[in-house]
Order: sequence, then structure tokens, then C-alpha cells
Amino acid sequence: MIAQRVGTTALRRVAGQPKTFFTANLARISATQTRQVATQKLTHDDATNLLAQQRLQRPVSPHLDIYDKKQTWFGGSIWQRFTGSALSGGLYAFGAAYLAAPLLGWHLESASIAAAFGALPFAVKGGLKFALAWPFAFHALNGVRHLVFDLGYGFAKRTVIKTGWYLWGASAVAGSYLAFFL
Amino acid sequence: MASIARSALLKQATTASRMSSFATKPVVNNALRAAAFHTTSRRDLLPPLPQRVDGTINDPAPVPPTSPSHGSYHWTMDRLVAASLIPLTITPFAAGSLNPTLDAVLCATILIHSHTGFQNIIVDYIPKKRTPRARKIFTWGLNAATVVVGLALYEFETTDVGLTEAVKRVWTA
Repeated sequence: MIAQRVGTTALRRVAGQPKTFFTANLARISATQTRQVATQKLTHDDATNLLAQQRLQRPVSPHLDIYDKKQTWFGGSIWQRFTGSALSGGLYAFGAAYLAAPLLGWHLESASIAAAFGALPFAVKGGLKFALAWPFAFHALNGVRHLVFDLGYGFAKRTVIKTGWYLWGASAVAGSYLAFFL
Repeated sequence: MASIARSALLKQATTASRMSSFATKPVVNNALRAAAFHTTSRRDLLPPLPQRVDGTINDPAPVPPTSPSHGSYHWTMDRLVAASLIPLTITPFAAGSLNPTLDAVLCATILIHSHTGFQNIIVDYIPKKRTPRARKIFTWGLNAATVVVGLALYEFETTDVGLTEAVKRVWTA
């Protein structure tokens, strides 16, 4: 039984019987109830350790896969980062290789790359071009979409979702056009 | 009945935990009591590392000094660079003519855009407070890589045919 509740049944019984001696003092009895508070003196180190222990109990962000897949895996925002780092990563890798080419005896001049690329079968050429053109198209189109967001337009939830799906279609069409029809 | 079961669960959880004696005070008890009601498994993406208290326990979380050149000016510059890439990319292909200066400007803008993009990724995923050494290594690694690629683009622009023309030649090969 909880300490503060001790005696409440008795008090209630008394309150149910008017004109007894105790009812006059009832207010005073309940007002003087005390609550036991236990305090503890902690050293500086103990207090620090306690706080550190308590911080470990704080809630942590849940795992990504509890969220709706449509938002986490097909959101334009993270694919902007994927496509951007793929394109820029490719540029950085090519740049480093181009600089190291004379030392390693590689031929990365535009003429030799074009010649090597031209010798590939059509399907491989198209596939490689699409692998470059689709991320470029996606990044460019979504980049414009995000710049429009940054100006404060198109932020209604329905608009964001709708333009997100248009983006996939438009980037596929634009990527295919750049890869196969140029 | 329910309270009996809960207290038994609580006792079990308390003895199983690695808490020191003073940590099994109300805050911890409440967390354990709440944990008994959770039905889904806990899968933490980033479980907290051992905690360290800087200063005294009553110090508030430090607020970094404001700096527009690392904040709003940087953000605006990022957007201006990104926006300027649209005409810079379209112009040489639409006009059909090639201007070496325009090509150099395109290369420089792409380099800045890539550098700040990679920087954003590093800042987002390698927190300074949690992993200060990795943060430093990646930041300076990126700086070095950008210098190397800048040098390579300079070489490519001055000794080869330039970026736009090279893409055109490979694309139509």
C-alpha cells in the first residue's frame, strides 16, 4: 500500500458520519499530511556518471526500414545525392586516372577513349551511355525541382509526391533520349 | 494480479541490467517499466556510444557561434553555383559552337559543385562530435582530391580537346 494512502479509508468512514468529533478536524488532518522525500548527496564524479547513464536511456532514432519504402527508397532527395555522387565520383576517378595515365602508360586522351568506345557493340554503347545519361538527367531535373523548392514553391504535400513520381518518368525518358537518339 | 506480474518483470529486468546501484532510481525504473509494454523488437540504427559529460552536469548543450559564411551565405552560394550549371551545360550543345573560356568556366563550376556536394555528404554522415578523426581525414582527403581533379581538368582543358568536345566525340563515336 502506498504511504500517502494510509488512513484514507478511515478518514472516508469518518467523513460519512457527520457530527462526529473528527469531522471538524478533517481539513487540518489532510493538510498536514507529509510526503517522504529521500535525497542523496552525490560526489561530482557520481553525478557525472549518473547523468551519463541516464543519457544512454534516451530514445534513439529507429531503423530506416520501419518507414514507408516509397518515402525512404524512392524519394527524389536521396537519389539526388546518389546520382550526384556517382557522376562526381566518376569525374574524380577519371581526373585522378587522367593525371596518373602518363606515369602508368594508360591512354586516356579523348581520341583514344572515343576510338575504344566506338569499337564497342551497339547494345554495350547504349547501356554505357544510359548509365551515364540517366543519372545526369535525374540530377539535372531534380536539381531544378529542388531549386524551385528552395524558392518556396511546390511544397504542398500532394505536389511534392506528384512531382516526385513525374521525376522518375521524365528522367527515364530524358536518359533514354540522350543515350539512344543523339 | 497485473501489478504482481509487472513487479516480477521489473525485478528481473533490473538484475539483468548493467546499471550501477545508484542508477536504478526512478528514471531507469520508468524506462524499464515502459520497455515491458513494447511489443516490437528494438533495432537501433546508431546505438549511443559511451557518454561523456563536458563541464558540470548543469551546463547546457553548447551552441556553436553563428557564422553566415558557413551558413546562409554558403547555402546561397551553393544554389547559385547549381543554378548557373543549367545554362552552362545547355549553351555549348544548343549553340553548337565551342568556346574554350566557356568550357573552362563549366569545368570550374562542376568542380566547385562536386566539392561542396561531397562536403555536404561528409558533414551529414560523419559527425564531428562522434567521429572527429574520421571527419578530419575525410575533409582533408576531399580537399586533396579536389586539388588533384582541378589539376587534371586543367591538363585536360589545355592539352586535350576540352570537356564538351570530348563528351561530344565519345557520344557520337
